[in-house]
Amino acid sequence: MSLIELRGASRTYQIGERRVTALEAVDLTVDVGEFVVVLGPSGCGKTTLLNLVGALDVASEGEVTVAGHHIVGASRGELSRFRRETVSFVFQTFNLFQALTAIENVQFGVDVTGRHREEPDRAMTVLERVGLQDRAHHFPHQLSGGEQQRVAIARALATGNPVLLADEPTGELDFRTGVQILELLHEQAHVGVTVIIVTHNREIARVADRVVELGSGRVTADGPPVGGQVPINELRW
Amino acid sequence: MGWLWLRWSWRDLRSRWVQVTAIAFIIALGSGTYSGLTSTSEWRRRSYDASYARLRMYDLRVSLAAGSFVDTAALSAVGTELESAGTLRSSAVQLVGPIQVDASQRGRTILVPGRVVGVEPVRNGPTVSTLSITAGRGLRPTDSARPVAVLDEHFGKRRNVGPGDRIRVSGKVGLTVVGRGVSPEHFILLGDAGTFTTEANFALTFVPIGTAGELLGQPGRANALAVRTRPGVSVTQARRALSDAFAAGFPDVGVTITARAADPGYRLLYDDIEGDQRLYNIFAVLILLGAAFAAFNLTTRIVEAQRREIGIGMALGVPSRRLAVRPVLVGMQIAALGAGLGVVVGLGVGSLMIQVLRSYFPLPVWRQDFQLGIFLRGAALGIALPFVATLVPVWRAVRVAPIDAIRTGVVTKRGRGLGWLAKIRLPGRSVTALPVRNVFRQLRRTVMTALGVAASIAVLLGVVGMLDSFRATIDHASKELGRSAPNRLAVTLATFDLETSSAVTTTRASPLIRRSQTELQLPGSVRRAGVKPIDLLVTISDLQSPIWHPTIHERVRGDGVVLTEKAADDLGVRPGDRVLLRLPYREGLTSYRYVEQAVPVIGLSAMPLRSLAWMDRRVGDSLTNLAGITNFVVVEPKAGVRTEEVQRALFGVSGVSSVQLVTDFADSLQKELDRAVGILLIVEGAVLLLALLIAFNAASISADDRARENATMFAFGYPLRSVVAMEIGESLLVGIIGTAVGLLGGWLLLDWLVTELLPTTLPDLQIVTALSGQTLLIAVLLGVLAVALAPLLTVRKLRRMDVPSTLRVVE
Ligand SMILES: Nc1ncnc2c1ncn2[C@@H]1O[C@H](COP(=O)(O)OP(=O)(O)O)[C@@H](O)[C@H]1O
Ligand SMILES: [Mg+2]
Repeated sequence: MSLIELRGASRTYQIGERRVTALEAVDLTVDVGEFVVVLGPSGCGKTTLLNLVGALDVASEGEVTVAGHHIVGASRGELSRFRRETVSFVFQTFNLFQALTAIENVQFGVDVTGRHREEPDRAMTVLERVGLQDRAHHFPHQLSGGEQQRVAIARALATGNPVLLADEPTGELDFRTGVQILELLHEQAHVGVTVIIVTHNREIARVADRVVELGSGRVTADGPPVGGQVPINELRW
Repeated sequence: MGWLWLRWSWRDLRSRWVQVTAIAFIIALGSGTYSGLTSTSEWRRRSYDASYARLRMYDLRVSLAAGSFVDTAALSAVGTELESAGTLRSSAVQLVGPIQVDASQRGRTILVPGRVVGVEPVRNGPTVSTLSITAGRGLRPTDSARPVAVLDEHFGKRRNVGPGDRIRVSGKVGLTVVGRGVSPEHFILLGDAGTFTTEANFALTFVPIGTAGELLGQPGRANALAVRTRPGVSVTQARRALSDAFAAGFPDVGVTITARAADPGYRLLYDDIEGDQRLYNIFAVLILLGAAFAAFNLTTRIVEAQRREIGIGMALGVPSRRLAVRPVLVGMQIAALGAGLGVVVGLGVGSLMIQVLRSYFPLPVWRQDFQLGIFLRGAALGIALPFVATLVPVWRAVRVAPIDAIRTGVVTKRGRGLGWLAKIRLPGRSVTALPVRNVFRQLRRTVMTALGVAASIAVLLGVVGMLDSFRATIDHASKELGRSAPNRLAVTLATFDLETSSAVTTTRASPLIRRSQTELQLPGSVRRAGVKPIDLLVTISDLQSPIWHPTIHERVRGDGVVLTEKAADDLGVRPGDRVLLRLPYREGLTSYRYVEQAVPVIGLSAMPLRSLAWMDRRVGDSLTNLAGITNFVVVEPKAGVRTEEVQRALFGVSGVSSVQLVTDFADSLQKELDRAVGILLIVEGAVLLLALLIAFNAASISADDRARENATMFAFGYPLRSVVAMEIGESLLVGIIGTAVGLLGGWLLLDWLVTELLPTTLPDLQIVTALSGQTLLIAVLLGVLAVALAPLLTVRKLRRMDVPSTLRVVE
C-alpha cells in the first residue's frame, strides 16, 4: 500500500458569488522514501495539494489517505495529532520562531512529537546534519536566508515524522544556497523519509525521482523528469 | 490626497475593529472619567448654591449662650424691628435643644440622642432656613404647639422612620411624624462641637416652636434667631445692627452671631468640594495616564503592523508625509470614536456621582449642568492622546530606510537585546522559553502594557487603600475605647447639673448599673502662639478611672492636659510644653465665659480624633470653676444586663439627654464611611474596567502579531490549548511585572494620599496608612489573574484561524 494516496481530491473556495477551484479531482499515490517534486506555474494549486497531504487543509471532495489516516472527515484534534506525528513542514518563508535560537527551534520539532524526548542530544545531532552546529545559539535574525531554511529543515527532521513537505523551500534563496537546500532534502529521501517538494522551477524538478505536474488544478503529467534525472551538481537556474 | 487613503485607513480600521473599539473605549474611559471627575466641583458648587438659595438659608444666625432662653415674642420683635428698619429681609425665631429620641418601631429598638429644632409653623416655612420636605408634609399653622414633628431626612431614611410613625422624646412625650425633610442648616449632619455624629444615631427633629417649648421645659421661649439681610445691606452692617439690638434688648444674655459663611455645615460642604476635587483630580490624571499608556501601546502595534507597507511606499518614492496619512487617519478615527464615547462616559460618571451625593446629602436641588469647557478639554485630551500615540510610531516608521522596512525578519527589529536571554536556559521544553523571550523581545511593548496595568492597579490601591486606612483608623479607635468596660454607656445630661441633682443621682442609683462616674465634657479650643487654634472636646474626668481612661503615652509629671498625638503634632508641641487652652469658666450660677489659660501638655493619646482631650478632675475643676458640676455620666451595666435595658431605663430620667454605647461611636462611624465610599467605588469601577480592557487588548493584539508563529505551531500539530497556555504564560509575566510596579506605585500613592492629602481635607483625623489583605488580593487577582487569563478571549479567534492562509502571507 502506498504511503500517500489522493483519490478524486478537489478543493474549491467560495469567494462571494464566485467559486474558485484550486484543485480538481486529483489522483495521486506516493510510496515510502520517494522524492517527489510537484511542478507547475503559480496559482495552479501546488500549495493546495501540499496542504491537503499535510492536513492543513481538507479536500472539499474526494479522499486523502496518508500513512493509513483518512484526512477527510477527521476531527480537528485528529488532524492536529496527525500533523504532529506523521508530517512535517518546511515553508518558503522559513517561519522560524523569532524568539528562539536555532537549536531551540530544532528542539521544538523534537518536543512537539515527543517521540525522541529521551534523546537529549537529538536537536544538536539534527542541527549537525544540516551543518549548522556552529550557529546553534544564534537567533533567526542573525542567520542568512539559507541558514534559516536549514534550521527550518532541521526542525522538520527533528520530529522524525515519515513525511516531509516543503513548499517552495528555495523560493527565497539564491542559486547556490538553493542547491544546498535541495541536496539536503534529497538526502532525507535516502534515509527513508518521504519528501514532497513544491516548486514552480522546472530546473529543480530535474533532480526528482518523480515529477508531478499541475496545471489549473489538475495533474497534467506524472513520471520521471523530462530528459531524465540529473545529479544536483548539474543544475543551473 | 484622494479617497484611496481614506478608504484604506477605513479598511485598516475594520480589519482590526475589535482592537480599535477597545482602544476607543480605553480612551473614552480615560478622558471621560477625567472630565466626569474634574467637573464635579463646578456642579457641586452650583447645586449647593441653588439649594441654599431655594431654602432661604440664613445670612446670620444669633444663638443665645447655652442654657439661656428669652421670650419668643421678644426675640421675634428684634427681628421685626430690624425688618422695618430696612436691615433685614426676614427673620425667624428658633428654639433648639438637646433631646433623647425613642424612635423604636415594630420591634426595632432605636434610642438615640437628638436635637429638637422648634420653628414657626408657617406654611412652606420657616421664612428663614426653610424646610425642604422629602416625604409626607411640612409643619402648618394649625400644628402650633401640637405634638407633631418633621424628622430629619438623614436619620429618617437611615432608620426607616417616616410619616405616620410615632416617636417619643425625652421620656414621655409622644410625637407623630408628619413628614421628613431637611433644613439648609443641616444639609450635612453635625453634632455638637468636637463630637462625631452619624446620621443613624442622631435624630434631628423639627417641631412647632410651641411644642419645642413643652419638650424642653421652656414654654413660650426661644434661643435663636435666623435672619436674612435685605439686598444691599452688608453682612457686617447687619451683624452690627443685630448685636446692638441684642445688647439693648437682652443685656444679660450672651449671644453668638454666626454668618452663613461661618456655618460649620455650610463650610464643610463647600470645603469638601475642594478637598474631594483634589483627590478626584489625582485619580483622574492617573486613570488618564493608564489609558495613555494603553493607547500608545496599541496604536504603536497597529502602526508596526503597517511598517512593511510603509517601507514599500517609501521604496516606491511616496513622500513620508503621504505615507503617514494612513496610520494617522486610523489614529484620528480612533480619537473621534474615543472622544465621542468619552463624553458619554463622562456624563455617566457625573450622573453616578450625583446619585451617590444625592443619597448622601439630601439637597433639594441637584443640577448637573453640562460643562462644555471641561468636556471639551476631556475630548481634546481624548483626541490628542491617540493622535500623539500614532504620530510617534509613524514618525519612527517613516524614518527607517525602506530597505529595512521591507526586509522580512528585521521588520520589527525582533530579537534586539536577546543575546543574553539565549544564555538563560529554562528547564523543560523549548516552548517554555517562548513566553519569557517574547516578553523581553519587545521590551518597550511589554513595558507599556505593564505600565497601563500598573497605573490601574496603583489607582485601585490608592482608592481602596484609603478605605482600608479609614477602617484601620476606626479599628484602632474602637480598640482603645473598648479596652476596658466595652459595654459602658455615656449618659449626656441636658445641661450642666450639680452632681447631687436628681438627674445624676437617679442615673447613678439605677439597679442595672455596676459602677459609674461623673465627668465634664466641654467644648473648647487649644492653640499655641502663632498657630491656628484647634477645636477640642475636653473630657474632665478621673485619669485613673477603673471604668475607662485613655492610654497615655510620654506621660510627664505634673498637672495639665492630655492631647492626641495628632493635635500635638499639628500644634508642634511635645509633652512638657505649654499650650493655650480655651475653656468655659463658670462665673455665676448658670453663666459662663470663655477663658484662655496656659496649660502644660502632660501626655499624648493615640486616639485618631484630633479634637479629643482629657484632663484630670482636680486640674479641670480649678481651670473651669466647675467643681461639683457635671454634664456627662459614664455608667457600666451590671454583668448580664443588656445595654439596651440600661438605655431604656435611663431614657426616662428627666434631665438626661442621651444614653449611648461608647463603642457605638466607632461602629456608626464605620457605617458612615462605608456609605461615603460610593464615589470611590465609581473610580474603582472605572479602573477595573480599564485594567480589563488593557489586558484584553494586549492579548488580542499579541495574538494578531503572533498569528504566523501560531500558524506554524498548528502546522506542526501543536495543540490549541498549548498555544493558548503559552499566550497565558506571556500575559502572566506582563501581569506580574505590571502588578508589581502597580503595587509599589499604589503604596507610594496611598502613603502620599494619607500623609499629605488627607490631613488637609480631614484635619481632625489621624489616619494611618493601611492596606488590607483583601485589597492586596483584589489587586493581585486583577493584575495577575485577569491579565493572565485575558488570552482566553482570543481562543475563538485562534480556533477559527485559517492556517494555510496565515502561513501563505509573505510578511
Ligand atoms: N484561501 C483561499 N481563498 C481563495 N482562493 C484561494 C485560497 N487559497 C488558494 N486559493 C486559490 O487557489 C488557487 C491555487 O492556489 P495555490 O495552491 O496557492 O497555488 P500555487 O501554490 O500553485 O501558486 C489560486 O487560484 C488561489 O487564488
Ligand atoms: Mg504556492
